[in-house]
Amino acid sequence: MRNVIFLAINVIRDSFRKKIFYVVFIFGLAMLALSPLLPSFELGLQAQFLRDVSISLTSLFGAVLAVIVAVGQLPVEIEKKTIYNILSKPVSRLQYFAGKFLGVVSTLAIILLVMGIEIIILIYLRLKVFSPIVFEGVLMVFLESCIIASFCYLMTTFASIPVGVLAAIFFYVLCHVKTGYLHGKLIEGVSGAWRVLTWSLYYIIPNLENYNISQQVGYGHGVPGGYTVRVLLYALLFVGLFIFIGYAVFRRKDL
Amino acid sequence: MASAVSLENIRKTYKSHMLRIKRTAIENLSLDVRENEIFGLLGPNGAGKTTTLKIILGLVAPNSGTGHVLGKPLGSKSARSRIGFLPEQPYFYGFMTAEKALMFYGHLAGLDANTIRKRSEELLNLVGLPQGSHLTLEKYSKGMLQRFGIAQALLNDPDLIIMDEPSSGLDPVGQKEIRDIIISLKDLGKTVFLSSHQLSEVESVCDSVSIINRGTTVRQGYLDDLLEVKGVSLITFAGANERAAEALVPPAKRVREENGRISVEVDSEKIYEIISMGRDLGFELQSVTPFRKSLEDLFIEIVRGEKI
Repeated sequence: MRNVIFLAINVIRDSFRKKIFYVVFIFGLAMLALSPLLPSFELGLQAQFLRDVSISLTSLFGAVLAVIVAVGQLPVEIEKKTIYNILSKPVSRLQYFAGKFLGVVSTLAIILLVMGIEIIILIYLRLKVFSPIVFEGVLMVFLESCIIASFCYLMTTFASIPVGVLAAIFFYVLCHVKTGYLHGKLIEGVSGAWRVLTWSLYYIIPNLENYNISQQVGYGHGVPGGYTVRVLLYALLFVGLFIFIGYAVFRRKDL
Repeated sequence: MASAVSLENIRKTYKSHMLRIKRTAIENLSLDVRENEIFGLLGPNGAGKTTTLKIILGLVAPNSGTGHVLGKPLGSKSARSRIGFLPEQPYFYGFMTAEKALMFYGHLAGLDANTIRKRSEELLNLVGLPQGSHLTLEKYSKGMLQRFGIAQALLNDPDLIIMDEPSSGLDPVGQKEIRDIIISLKDLGKTVFLSSHQLSEVESVCDSVSIINRGTTVRQGYLDDLLEVKGVSLITFAGANERAAEALVPPAKRVREENGRISVEVDSEKIYEIISMGRDLGFELQSVTPFRKSLEDLFIEIVRGEKI
């Protein structure tokens, strides 16, 4: 566990020094900061609108940052050969793989926490309304980002950075539109092999819409505790699955 | 003496991603590195040296064959805790200073913070890098990075040190310092396994070598045995020139002028005859030694498949 933690800390330090990371991060904060300039409504609606827009923006930037941080690990380490200095030490591939991913997840957690705090401060400064409910939305964004990051991490065990990024974009879009599209197909009554395929895809592809609670946060009532636990377990299931497959590939990879 | 590294009939192929064509990097490779020796792995580009090092470190798994490192199976984590590795053109996290990077690698090697600090001080001093510098590794020159790489390889006081091109990027003074470090490691009872293109470096520090070509061991043994030409001696004369010395051939095999001296290669049973001929020509006898070819000659002979 010691090695896992040292490796995770190193990922966090390394992530926070990358320029592209700051560009995206600052752009995200700027968007949040500018959101009070959007059309004015009455006070209640303004707070609702700001919370809703802020969480939606955070979700988008969370996804982008998840991809940037996750794809920047294994392929970069292998290309730059920094991995040799680590795996030639008494560090197992499992520790390395887990440590790197823990670092990715921790980096996302820190960024999203900062963004969440900033949203609350912005809303308070603008409307004098304290909105701790925002953290509920940020938690959902974090869980969604973890699923995306784990998928990217899996992809980069065998694919290059550009392929990993493209796959992640496709994955993100698919996971957001799949509910409507595939569910529609199932209701339409496709038959035979198509039905099996549609049904399989419907359950195999994670439903990232589960984590879209910007409206509920906007309204200020959030989601029930039971729902949070269910989507937390749902995220753990997919993150665990992607990491398990990724490690199975990485364990046998020639470096 | 026990083996520090032994490989037997190792085979390694790589598959190309797209066409799934197999490329053989190593075929039937065997090695035996004894404890407390300096061993050199030599071979032309693409011979399989780096793959061999990676197999020893567990970074690459062989398709077939067996091997042990410090008495443990290939890739063993406990063996790695006793290994120090310097990769070719080492890359490190550029945002760290030397001390922070050593702290990071030391922790991964299982050392505690106090030990790492103490070792860091010793090692930075040994490799000639400044201590307490705020300079991050990304601002280091190639030579400084190489020195840092050696420091990190020695951090855990390893029993086996594997170095891939240890003098790469260093000036002649730096190369000499690295050679001295390698020899001092042997004096401390360590085993050094180095892969190098610098044949003079290998010849000056190694006890034994293995020359590989196209993934296969083509020659292995103690350097003295490999370089000595049985039954041939080298006679050195002063006060002669090459043209005059040509009169010695035959019975001498070959005459060469170097630095104002004449070196004569001769079958050992004809030593007295040549000495006598040389004196008759007015040459001054300087030495008679067993003839030893240079490692460069041996290497080229093997790689080209030609006898020199």
